[in-house]
Amino acid sequence: MVSMTLAASEGTLNPVAVELAPAITTLVVFGLVCLVLFTKVWPKIASGLDERQAKIRQEIEAAEAAQAEARAAMESQQAELAKARAEANEMIMKAKADAEATAKELRARAQAELTELREQAGQQIKEAKETAITELHAETAMLATAIATRILQREINVDDQQSLIDDSLRELESVHGG
Amino acid sequence: MHLLAFGDNPLGHVVDVAIIGGNDPIVGSTASDTPILTMHMVTMLIAAILTVWMMMTVASKVCTGKGTGNERYLTKGRFSQMIEVIILYLRDKAIHPVLGDANTNRFLPFLLTLFFFILVCNILGLIPLMDLQHVLGHGIVGSEMQWAFFGGTATSNLAVTAALAVICFVIIQIHAFRELGIKGWLSHLTGGAPLYLLPIMLPVEFMGMLIKPSALAIRLFANMVAGHTLMAMLALFGKMAFAGLGTGGLIGIGFISIIAAVAISFLELFVAFLQAFIFMFLTAVFISQMSHHHEDHHEEFEEGLTEYDEVPAH
Repeated sequence: MVSMTLAASEGTLNPVAVELAPAITTLVVFGLVCLVLFTKVWPKIASGLDERQAKIRQEIEAAEAAQAEARAAMESQQAELAKARAEANEMIMKAKADAEATAKELRARAQAELTELREQAGQQIKEAKETAITELHAETAMLATAIATRILQREINVDDQQSLIDDSLRELESVHGG
Repeated sequence: MHLLAFGDNPLGHVVDVAIIGGNDPIVGSTASDTPILTMHMVTMLIAAILTVWMMMTVASKVCTGKGTGNERYLTKGRFSQMIEVIILYLRDKAIHPVLGDANTNRFLPFLLTLFFFILVCNILGLIPLMDLQHVLGHGIVGSEMQWAFFGGTATSNLAVTAALAVICFVIIQIHAFRELGIKGWLSHLTGGAPLYLLPIMLPVEFMGMLIKPSALAIRLFANMVAGHTLMAMLALFGKMAFAGLGTGGLIGIGFISIIAAVAISFLELFVAFLQAFIFMFLTAVFISQMSHHHEDHHEEFEEGLTEYDEVPAH
């Protein structure tokens, strides 16, 4: 009531009265706004929003596909890397085994050669020993003959000498053999 | 002389003024019972033009066009981006959960138009257009005549909000008839009550049908009137202090009242958005109440089969 009095005192309209003119104007104006916005604005905005949404969805899907592809590629690469690493390890192990086998073979061969050399050396030593003994026997016989000749003051012919030598050798062999 | 428009009356900024016709028109002296042209009508026309211009500008910035490349998918300009965000929020968070797919597509243009029209009217009311006209008019011409021809808040006029509510009522009822048919509409009106309760149910439901849009109109009108009246009251404190206490009172009280008025202005800005949203949102709710799925909810709930929140919204 106070507000109405105040309003009336200023020549203004009743604030709680529903005047016909503003109401009809509102209907008309809002109707026109609707008409313009429905035909010129909302279709454009709706299509813009829909297209943008579709584009974003498409980009996200493409990004997800690319990510999956990259992940698969990375997994494949890692598998390849692991495979290569295993192969390298295998090769290293094989090379090590080969080297060990070769070393073993070389060692065996060297051992065999050494044994052979040792045997040859032994044989040669034996032969040299036998030769030396034979020569020693001959020399000994010669000396013994010479000495005996001197003692007996007579010449002993070759056949006697040979007979003596042979006797001496037999005796020597019998001594050695016995 | 009042330097500011309706300087002695806090209701001056919210009450409509007759320009042509009415008891004391600004233009001419031909008084009549009903005004022909009022300040709020002019303001509403300006708001309508602004709404159309604003939304057409936004539409041109939001639409992707026919070019190539990714650039065309970007919304150009901060204002357009802001409006786009508001539209997306209203569509995805407010309207779609209430109306579902089909009805959202059908009613989204109307609801958004309603929201932006009310919003522009509300925000236009926060700009002191009447005062500017008075200052300019008195400053230039120096006469005592009423210089303000537009300004104020159109939505603080009950006739305007009532007309908007009538439009909503018509839309809701047309939708109800289309969705439910005459039989379904009558069934909805009875609320599933037994026959002996119909004498009570029918008037109650019928009144409820009318009260819903009326509440929309009164809520918007009351909020706009209250906010602007409060602001005007705060602004008047300085003048009252000057009249009562002199310059000291003007400086002391005026400073406090200005700070309070600024704070209330921010609140009013929020209320402008909030009331536009509430008007639009409740209209969407009332529309959804007249839809098939809402009827299904009623039946399921009444049969004790399920709870409301377990039924898919659409």
